[in-house]
Amino acid sequence: MSVERELHALRTATTVTPGDHVARVKLVGVGAADLLERVSPRALFVRTGKMSHTLLLDEAARPLADVYLCCDEDDFFILAEGLTAADVVAYLRPHATDLEVTFEDLTESHAVLSLGGPYAWELLGELTTPDVIGLPYLGFFHAEAFTCFRGGKTGEYGYDLLVERDRLAGVRAQLADIGTRFDLVESTLATQDVAQLEAFFWNARRQSPVGLTPIELQLQWRVTYGRAFPGAAALAERRQTAHRRAVLLASATALEPGAPLRFGDRTIGTVLDAAFSPTRGDWVGMGIVERAVAHSGLELASGAAAVHTLSAPSINNRSLHVDPQRHCFATRATDVFPPLVRR
Amino acid sequence: MSETTDLAEMTRRVAQREELLGRLRKILIEHLQLRREVDELDPDAPLFGSGFGLDSLDAVELVVCLETEFGLRVNDPTVLRQSFRSLNTMIDLVLGHAGPA
Repeated sequence: MSVERELHALRTATTVTPGDHVARVKLVGVGAADLLERVSPRALFVRTGKMSHTLLLDEAARPLADVYLCCDEDDFFILAEGLTAADVVAYLRPHATDLEVTFEDLTESHAVLSLGGPYAWELLGELTTPDVIGLPYLGFFHAEAFTCFRGGKTGEYGYDLLVERDRLAGVRAQLADIGTRFDLVESTLATQDVAQLEAFFWNARRQSPVGLTPIELQLQWRVTYGRAFPGAAALAERRQTAHRRAVLLASATALEPGAPLRFGDRTIGTVLDAAFSPTRGDWVGMGIVERAVAHSGLELASGAAAVHTLSAPSINNRSLHVDPQRHCFATRATDVFPPLVRR
Repeated sequence: MSETTDLAEMTRRVAQREELLGRLRKILIEHLQLRREVDELDPDAPLFGSGFGLDSLDAVELVVCLETEFGLRVNDPTVLRQSFRSLNTMIDLVLGHAGPA
């Protein structure tokens, strides 16, 4: 299956992607919330059935993982990218010595399947119950065969299904059956990575070099200042001195991660990550540039490549315009949506 | 256009966007009572949902602010959905409706 076909399905229909790269851990016990309050850079305002989207930072405030903290009564599920489940437990354990909490690494017992696309909600409704339409962003619920978390990192409707291993084949079979009515396409992690770049959604597996913090990466919305958490002191210090910021790049010519970015004859930053976007028909990337010129609408250069900066995202996500009360997969051909590509 | 003129034009665009970014950040803090410091409001961060947590009432307030602050009246829900994603997309909206400099 080509990245192009998978991306087209993600942007216009539905995809399912194995989530082997997603670390899944369950914290059990009345100390779970206290533990996460100690390590989460974002204040943990979640009640049961809700998720908080935040980070795990090292002491230098470098983001190690992109995490959902999901409150399930006293317990919490953690879904993380950037660290393994064992690494997540190792990160948390030193902060829990005085707390009543145990760690369950769900890697062996559970699989993750990610559903995505502007009609993923409808596919999921057929798989479970039409009530899923009402599931808010960053909410989750327990279905018979899995727990369903609504998140998404591509700008489209996104649901992560946490499935017990012995029920995985059954869920897969159901998806294969129902999926034929939604042009469901099996997608890969490589395609998800391109989709995240198109959406300018930070990718913990590719965009976390030493020296960058949530400030440069435009991730301060996942931080509540004034709290104690690992990396808080370094982040407060960086706040006084930060001089770079991430920008979304587009170019008709291939962009090379690590290559310098120039503004006139002056080097102002580097390409952090890049990939060809079949959706747009050009290259998209994330650059880290001097804050004074970190704006969209600029013409830069990288090697021989002419590069321009854009306001994120680089595409018009159809999910933004698909309203489950008014649209459905069956009427997609006659429904009117903006063009997918933003220039 | 010469390279020097290009650079001058780019510099002008940076200054224009920086000025609008400052005004929009102020609107979020002063009109929408967002409890954040100015420097925390990253230009590409999501305004709604998990980002700065704005809701539908805030969206109405933003529409009003666009009109009072920038003389911009936008009724098309498709345009609003796209333009209210971040501060940068709001800046694009304002610049897109601005007259020639």
